[in-house]
Amino acid sequence: MTAARHEVPAARPEPPSVLPTVLPTAAYASWEAIYADNVDRIYRLMYTKVGNRHDAEDLTSQVFLTALGPLRTTASVGEVRSYLLATARTVLASHWRSTLGHQVTVIDVDAVDLEDFTPGHEPPGPTAERLGAILSGLPERQRAILTLRFLRGYSIKAAAAELGVSVANAKVLQHRALRRAAGLDKEGEAS
Amino acid sequence: MKHAIDRYVDSLLRRRRPKPFPPTEDDLAMARVAIDLAAAVPDAQRPREAFVEDLRRRLSDQQEPHPAPPPAAYRPRGRRRFLAALTATGVAAAVTTDLVVSGTAQTTLAGGDLTSDTGGWQTVAHTADLPEGAVLPFDLGTLNGFIRRQSGRFQAVSGVCTHQGCRLHLDTPQTKLTCPCHGATFSVAGEPLSRPHGSHPLPALPRLPVRIDGDHVQVFGPTA
Repeated sequence: MTAARHEVPAARPEPPSVLPTVLPTAAYASWEAIYADNVDRIYRLMYTKVGNRHDAEDLTSQVFLTALGPLRTTASVGEVRSYLLATARTVLASHWRSTLGHQVTVIDVDAVDLEDFTPGHEPPGPTAERLGAILSGLPERQRAILTLRFLRGYSIKAAAAELGVSVANAKVLQHRALRRAAGLDKEGEAS
Repeated sequence: MKHAIDRYVDSLLRRRRPKPFPPTEDDLAMARVAIDLAAAVPDAQRPREAFVEDLRRRLSDQQEPHPAPPPAAYRPRGRRRFLAALTATGVAAAVTTDLVVSGTAQTTLAGGDLTSDTGGWQTVAHTADLPEGAVLPFDLGTLNGFIRRQSGRFQAVSGVCTHQGCRLHLDTPQTKLTCPCHGATFSVAGEPLSRPHGSHPLPALPRLPVRIDGDHVQVFGPTA
């Protein structure tokens, strides 16, 4: 049965060609242990790459459904994590290829450590710093609209009321704030 | 809203799945910022328990040697999808037990995947009926096509011409599929070979999910 599943010529991500060889050497007891220890990590990693639950869930599913078949549970924790990460990288790449057609975000397997995505911890690595970097470079009102909308969950209407502008103005403000944060508008230009 | 990127950002803000659109370079840069901002919400901290449990169950089905739901790549999302070759290559993995993993990449030439929203695995042949290199037609009522075994793999393609929907015939000596209406031909792998009229090649035939259950060759399709 296991072999048969792989007959399906699905758009499965390509498994990494280089076998992981790293430690830690402790092994997982079963595939369920692999799953239990890593599902939160992979989900959180994916969320930082796609920014929404639906895609994060789908991509997490794909990683495990793709990776667990070929994984032998006698592999060490380090090997398993490396393999999951490499699978996640190709799953994400395939996701972007089939949606926006560009690699909007990527997983750098050399830079990411699943250990950092320990459940219950603060937003992993780049997120908090990146957030500060994004917001600190903006004029006050642009920073305000992004904070209200993204971090505090305000609707566009509520955010507009809070800032004392019309909804249409709030939309423009938000659009320009994102442009500026993306480095597309220079200092002093449009605000 | 006039910018497609605004709709994309709006979906992220509304905790919805964003829809694809053809982005410009600027759009991509803005999408990256929006994704980073959106990843700061509590949603991002841990997966829903229901999701974790559901996936655990699917993985369990996958690990056990009894009938399993269709693989993730085929899980229907929203409406029925006729994918027009979204992914240029489909890649299937093979298993060996003495390595951590082992993969055999295989480039498929057929079109996108055709998967039913509702349905099940339905037997279309016995493995014994389908020796290496053989091709067999099958008909499940609403779904028909051709199944073949090539290099030890089972593959199925739709049996409906991508021109005007006529039913294809298997042309002896079983090397191609022919359309009775306008004479278009396809390889048994689904790629378009020729069309009598028109300058552009026809789209490839959609692939269908296949699995082996015991000695049954099954295709995932709508139940009548």
